[in-house]
Amino acid sequence: MPTSYSSYFYPLLKKHTTESEMKWLDSIPKDNPNALMTAFVKAPRFLSKTIIQEELEYQNLIPNLPGFQVNHWNFVRLSRVWFLSLLVTLPKDELIEKIETLFDTAELNELVALFSSLPILPYPQVWLPRATDAVRSNMGFVFDAIALHNPFPYHEFPELAWNQLVLKTIFNEKPIQMIYGLLERNNQNLSIGLVSFVKERWSAGRDVPPDVWQLLVPYLSEGELYLVETLFKSQRKEDVIAASLICSQSELNSYQLLGTKHPKFPEEIKNGKWDWSKLGNNH
Amino acid sequence: MCEKQSDLTTNPSHFENQNKTNDTPTHMDLQWDEYKDKIKGFKFFDPHIHMVSRTTDDYQNMAQAGIVAVIEPAFWVGQPRTGLSSFKDYYSSLVGWERFRSSQFGIKHYCTIGLNSREANNERLAEEVMEILPLYIYKEGVVGVGEIGFDDQTELEEKYYRLQLELAKEAKLPVQIHTPHRDKKRGTERSMSIAIEHGLDPSWVIVDHNNEETVKSVLDQGFYAAFTIYPFTKMGNKRMVSIVEQYGAERIMINSSADWGISDPLAIPKTAALMVSRGIPHDVIRKVTYENAIEAFAKSGQIQVSDFELNTPSDPNEKFHGNSVLRGGQLPKWNQNSLYID
Repeated sequence: MPTSYSSYFYPLLKKHTTESEMKWLDSIPKDNPNALMTAFVKAPRFLSKTIIQEELEYQNLIPNLPGFQVNHWNFVRLSRVWFLSLLVTLPKDELIEKIETLFDTAELNELVALFSSLPILPYPQVWLPRATDAVRSNMGFVFDAIALHNPFPYHEFPELAWNQLVLKTIFNEKPIQMIYGLLERNNQNLSIGLVSFVKERWSAGRDVPPDVWQLLVPYLSEGELYLVETLFKSQRKEDVIAASLICSQSELNSYQLLGTKHPKFPEEIKNGKWDWSKLGNNH
Repeated sequence: MCEKQSDLTTNPSHFENQNKTNDTPTHMDLQWDEYKDKIKGFKFFDPHIHMVSRTTDDYQNMAQAGIVAVIEPAFWVGQPRTGLSSFKDYYSSLVGWERFRSSQFGIKHYCTIGLNSREANNERLAEEVMEILPLYIYKEGVVGVGEIGFDDQTELEEKYYRLQLELAKEAKLPVQIHTPHRDKKRGTERSMSIAIEHGLDPSWVIVDHNNEETVKSVLDQGFYAAFTIYPFTKMGNKRMVSIVEQYGAERIMINSSADWGISDPLAIPKTAALMVSRGIPHDVIRKVTYENAIEAFAKSGQIQVSDFELNTPSDPNEKFHGNSVLRGGQLPKWNQNSLYID
C-alpha cells in the first residue's frame, strides 16, 4: 500500500489554524474520497490564506522526502495537499481517476496545490505528462509550483524536460537557485542550450542573469572563451563578477589566464565575498 | 447596384446636397479622449464582461480608465460546444488563465459559472454539464451562478434554469440572469417569477440586460436591475443616463457585456463620463458603476474589496506577486505609436 504522509501535515495545521478552521478540517470524513475532493475545492471558503513561516523547523517537512518543503505556502494550499495525501490509500485506478478529475477541473490555486502534491503521490510516472505540461504553463503560480522548491522534476523528469524547466525558469526571469537539484542534474545538453540563449540575448541587446553562468562552467571549451571575454567588458558589475567566478572555477588554462587579467574580483571571491548564490535573483 | 439612372434619385448620395446652405452640422459625436478626464479618480467594477473574447490591449485600456475588477459570466462563445471537455476547458479558463491574465493588468477577475440558456437546448450535453457544475461553483473567485435564464424560452431552458436556481440556493450564491433578446419583457417576468417560486430572495438575484420596458417591474419586485451598454443593441448610454435620472441609484448597475461582438469594454467609464457631464452626482455614479455590483455579488463571500481598493496598481508595469504573464522579460506597456518595436 502506498505511503501516506498525512500525519506530517496535521500537527502543522493544528498549530496554526483557528478553532473554527480546525473544526471544519476535522469534520471532513477522511475515508470518503468524494467528501475529500469537495473539501479540496471548498477550502478557501473555510480557511484563511495565512502564510506559513517556519523557516527552520519545517525546512524539510518529511524526513525521507528531501526538498519537499511547505514554507511560504498558505493554509489553503497546505490543507489541500493534506486532503490529497489522505487519498493515496485508494486503489490505484480510483486514485488516478480522482486526481485526474481534480486536475481537469482545477482553477489556478488548485493547480498550485496539485502540482505541489506530486512528490507525495504514488505512481509518479502517471503524473509525469501533467508535470512537464505545467512547465509550459504561462501562469506564473502554476509554473512556480512545479519548478521551484519541488523535488518531483529532479527525480522524475527525463533530461529533455529537465533542461526545458531550467531554460524556462531563466527565460521567465525566475530564480534558478530555487530549482531543487539544479547542480546535480546539470548536463552537457543544457549547456548547449544556454550558450545559444546567451548569444540570442546579446544579439537582442539584452542581459543574461549572471548566476546562469555557473551551469556553463563545467562545459565551456576554448571555443567559448570569447563569451567570457565579452562578459568581462559588460557595464554591469555582476556580469564581471560572474566572469571572474567562471575563470576561478574553470579547469582550463585559458580561462584561468583570462581571470588573472582582471584582478579585482578574484581576491574578493577568495575572501568569500562573492559566490553564485550572491548573484542570484532570489525574489 | 444601380442599374438605371433613375435609381439614383431614390437612393441619394450623401454628397448630393453638399452645396445647399442648410446642411451645417447640427450634431457631432462626443470624443472619448476629450471626456475621459471627467472620471479621473473614479474606480469602476464591470459585473458582466466576456474577457475570453478580448485582447490584452483591452485590459490595458480598462485599467487606465479606472476599471479595477470585473465579473466574467460563463456564456456562449459564439458557436455551440460539441462535448463536455470543451465546457471543462472553458470553465477552467474562467477560473484559471483569464483570472491570471487579468491580474497582470491590476484588474481583479471574478466569474459566475453556469450552463447558458442556448446550450440548455442540447439535452444530452446539458445533463453532463450539470454533473460537473458543483465542482466549479465552489471555487475561489466564483461569485454566482450565471448567466442563466432564457433565450428562446423553451421547456429545456426552463428545466435547466430551475435546476441551476436550486444549485445556487444550495451553494448560497447569487444568481445572474440573462434576459432574452426576443420577447424580453415576457422572458424577464417569467425568469423572476420562477426565481421567486424556488424561494430565492430577490436581493440575491441580478437581472441583466434590462431596458426601459423591464426596469420598473424588476426594481419593484426587489431584484437588482443590471443594464448592458452595448452599441446598436441592448442599451445606449444616453438612455442609461435617463434611467438613472428617473429611477435613482438603488439596485441599479451598469455593465458592458463586451464579448466577441461589436462591443465596448470601456462602456462603463464612458457612461460615467456622460453622467458627470449631465450633472449626475458623483455618489450616484459611484453606486451604479461600482458599489452596487460589489454589494450584490459580495453575498457570495468571494469578494474582498481590499483586493482592488487598497494599493490597486495604477501602473500596468506592476507585477502580480512577482509573477508575470509576460514572455522573456517583456514589458506590459510599450509605446504603440512608435514605429520601432524593441
